[in-house]
Amino acid sequence: MNAPDRYERFVVPEGTKKVSYERDTKIINAASFTLEREEHTIGNILRMQLHRDPNVLFAGYKLPHPLQYKIIVRIHTTSQSSPMQAYNQAINDLDRELNHLKNAFEEEMMRISREY
Amino acid sequence: MDGVSYQRFPKVKIREMKDDYLKFELRETDASIANALRRVMIAEVPTIAIDLVEIEGNSSVLNDEFIAHRLGLIPLTSERAMGMRFSRDCDACDGDGQCEYCSVEFHLHVRCDTDQTLDVTSYDLRSSDPSVVPVDVAQHSESTGYDASEQRGIIIVKLRRGQELRLRAIARKGIGKDHAKWSPAATVTFMYEPEIHINEDLMETLTLDEKRDWIESSPTKVFGLDPNTHQVVVVDPEAYTYDDEVIKKAEAMGKPGLVEIYAKEDSFIFTVESTGAIKASQLVVNAIEVLKQKLDVVRPSEETEEADDQFGELGAHMRGG
Ligand SMILES: [Zn+2]
Repeated sequence: MNAPDRYERFVVPEGTKKVSYERDTKIINAASFTLEREEHTIGNILRMQLHRDPNVLFAGYKLPHPLQYKIIVRIHTTSQSSPMQAYNQAINDLDRELNHLKNAFEEEMMRISREY
Repeated sequence: MDGVSYQRFPKVKIREMKDDYLKFELRETDASIANALRRVMIAEVPTIAIDLVEIEGNSSVLNDEFIAHRLGLIPLTSERAMGMRFSRDCDACDGDGQCEYCSVEFHLHVRCDTDQTLDVTSYDLRSSDPSVVPVDVAQHSESTGYDASEQRGIIIVKLRRGQELRLRAIARKGIGKDHAKWSPAATVTFMYEPEIHINEDLMETLTLDEKRDWIESSPTKVFGLDPNTHQVVVVDPEAYTYDDEVIKKAEAMGKPGLVEIYAKEDSFIFTVESTGAIKASQLVVNAIEVLKQKLDVVRPSEETEEADDQFGELGAHMRGG
């Protein structure tokens, strides 16, 4: 009767920002990104990509509660970078990796279909 | 401002490709990418499924909602789905979700007039779009390798003399996260590729019976005995389920280090089985595309970034910069 609508899990409500950003008030170069209506799929690939960046001192994500459909990605960098720069770089790198993967997969599909 | 790239260049090798089955190797990336792909294939690659049913007449033994539920679970060919609109974002029909951009209409009218029980099946669904039909109907019309006599459709309900079912159904684009009926994946799994090293010197200290005993300790057929040389060989490394049984057995025999098994952390073997809604290979391609779209929407908006720049200057002032 009072169950939330199923689409609540993946449709960002009107007036809510998909990505919001909050700097740490005490630590320089530390910040949290709140990603609305995302979960482990995005959280974990972002975290692992951020770990590849040597300027990232800490990167982690959490799903605060299973009924709050958002994740929080926290990043702490050296003074050579910033959380925003590291975050953008991680997204760009992942996007390019996926472009590469898509091409590699499609080439392989062509090769296999020729064999049949 | 642009930083250095830490991008990876994954490699793919397809081992077996059928319409509804795919086995491939994914290398030079990490488990987070492999798992993201698996999750997207199961829950976020869109397909088309019946979502709204108007019953015009139902004198069958099953109630209306029971039939509506069964109709929803019938897989429909969904090559169109990636290019379709979700009804909730469709502006051509503002929200009622019944236009050609976001829906496909089906009609079904069956009446039994004989003494023999009549099966109402997926074959009785009449689609408004020839590219969106029940998967088994599409396979039947292609008649490639399927035995026509074995194809009887998916049974929806059975009718006896005088009973009738008449309905209109709307199929819509959706994702498995919303309802499992929209999931194109029957199963998607991946495993780490194992790397198995046998300590040959230590192995040669075993008698033939001990070797056999040790080989038998594995619940799956990973190791075998060369019939000529009587040497223990790896028959099928991928049969290993990371159960540690052979390692425990070696220790129990007083031969620790007889075998070492590692999981290669950047090498995965995927198995993808599709419901038939889209081809298994297309499922992988669509999953990569959906994942890219997901990443794209989590890029910070310009105002968010500008707010950070101002923040940065303010911070620099405060620090005396
Ligand atoms: Zn529409």
